[in-house]
Amino acid sequence: MIDMNKSLGIGSKKTRVYGTIFLLILAVIIPLIFGMNLYLLTILILTIIFIIYASSWNFLTYTGQGSLGHAAFFGLGGYASALVATASGLSPYITIFIGGGAAALVGLFIGAVCVRLKEWFLAMVTFGFAIIIQTLMVSQFAGVTGGWDGIAAPRLIGSDVPNHQLIEYYSIVLIAVFVILLFWLILKSKIGLAFAAIRENEMEARAAGIDPVKYRLFAFLVSAYFSGVAGALEIHNLGYITPEIFGVDISFWPIIYSISGGLGTLAGPIVGTIVITLIWDGLQSYGLTYLRFVIIGLLLVLIIIFLPKGLISLPDKIKGYLDKKKKGS
Amino acid sequence: MVVSSDVLLQVMIWGLYAGCIYILLAIGLNLIFGVMKIVNFAHGELLMLGAYVTFTFYALSGFNPYVLLAASVPVLIVVGVIIERTCFRPILGTGKLNEIFISIGLIYIIQNAAAMIWSDEWQIIHSPFEHITISVFGVNMPLDYLIIIITTVIILILLFLFMRRTRLGKAMRATSQNRKGAMLMGINVERMDMLSFGIGAGLAGAAGTLWVVSGQVFNPYMGSIPAIKAFAIVILGGLGSIPGAIIGGLIYGIAENFAILTLGGAWKDAISFIILILVLIVRPTGIFGESAE
Repeated sequence: MIDMNKSLGIGSKKTRVYGTIFLLILAVIIPLIFGMNLYLLTILILTIIFIIYASSWNFLTYTGQGSLGHAAFFGLGGYASALVATASGLSPYITIFIGGGAAALVGLFIGAVCVRLKEWFLAMVTFGFAIIIQTLMVSQFAGVTGGWDGIAAPRLIGSDVPNHQLIEYYSIVLIAVFVILLFWLILKSKIGLAFAAIRENEMEARAAGIDPVKYRLFAFLVSAYFSGVAGALEIHNLGYITPEIFGVDISFWPIIYSISGGLGTLAGPIVGTIVITLIWDGLQSYGLTYLRFVIIGLLLVLIIIFLPKGLISLPDKIKGYLDKKKKGS
Repeated sequence: MVVSSDVLLQVMIWGLYAGCIYILLAIGLNLIFGVMKIVNFAHGELLMLGAYVTFTFYALSGFNPYVLLAASVPVLIVVGVIIERTCFRPILGTGKLNEIFISIGLIYIIQNAAAMIWSDEWQIIHSPFEHITISVFGVNMPLDYLIIIITTVIILILLFLFMRRTRLGKAMRATSQNRKGAMLMGINVERMDMLSFGIGAGLAGAAGTLWVVSGQVFNPYMGSIPAIKAFAIVILGGLGSIPGAIIGGLIYGIAENFAILTLGGAWKDAISFIILILVLIVRPTGIFGESAE
């Protein structure tokens, strides 16, 4: 039997509900407490965008797939949205969803190539697509994309509007809540069950009449779409886009966030993104440059070895350890 | 596009030389995969370490950099064994994606530790034979390229003899054919894991030295792209197949140089993936691969 709780999150229902409410309140009041601290607000905005991005990446793992090249979708969403917004004059709030569409279209194509591939092959091919797309952007399409120099992207909200950063922040929080709610609904539905069946045992799923190809493609499509939306949000927030966006780092961050939080859970990417961002920015304030990469790498290795279910399993693990100790004494 | 036969031959020889470094990487990956059934995505970082070990010993001793193969290979074998013991052994037999994720951690650690030790600037070493070119089959090629090709052939022959003629090599092959069976025959398979990872890392170290002496620049982040090309070759030749890796490496080196000639330099890196994707669509098990897992 497939345990639905397992695919939605670890811990009891009560902890999940309280955790969600707590995080939401935190997201709303932090900027109010610290006021108009621009540095803090920038970090918060990026964190929320990366929560969307990491959650989208993580959505793939529900079907047992993985990707080392999600920067392809992140970047494509950004480029498409920036180009459409500049050409049409539409608000970026509309074009981000068009950008996501462009990413999803390419995602569908990549998914169709990858859908029968597993593990290492899938990893390599997705990684490769990110590099191929980057190469296309700086060579064949350089006329439109500005090559390595990149192009300017319209801001989400013009900087002449008072408190524009704050409005941007809250709108992005709203989008993030919407995306995660959508993922939750999908995973709670029959589709989520089919995902779990495919992940646990593909042969049995097939025997039960589930078409793995169809569901894998669907997962790829959704994942690519919201990665594209996240990418578009980021570049409209920054105000420019360069092909650096297709870099390996951008592909690896959502993986690091999802794994450290807990793979294949809704809470995992959220917790992972927050914790790793805190550590990352904390290390930066100490002036560490290379060492912080080393520390993040070490952390990742340690989590994979000692905490395979990620940080969200830490409370359960500590509790289990304490219970065992109590029984022993 | 019309290409004269002269240029064609030139491109072939360049490809042959480029292929050599990729072959050493790809064989290392294949050895590790054969025995442990894992893929070390941080293999390029071992190449980079090999390059820096050569660089350091060269700066200290001033020896002919080719001699420094005797330094880079043993150092990398030790590094490989340490990585296997501390990172890969604990996750052996857990989820299949874990080794990819742990490799990502390793990539971050090794790259940035190297950047802390050696700084992240591009470095270069000049080979003592830099300005000597010789003529082979009517094509001018640097002497270094010829030495690199010959060195690779010698390394491959040594590896072949080790795998075929020694007890240890036979035990390693047995483990990669059937891990359980090998265990029942009294082979210490964990030692074989260590050995295969050590040899794989050593080959990457040798590739690093050859990379340096061929006059290519290197920095702590240079390892990823050659490693990815090595994967393309591994998949091209078939996962776990050593002859496949050699032929795949040669085809790949030549194809890459043709792509640069016809599509332009920007495509140098992307071409590997186009080949990779085409191969995976047409023949997912690779040219010499046995049945897929």
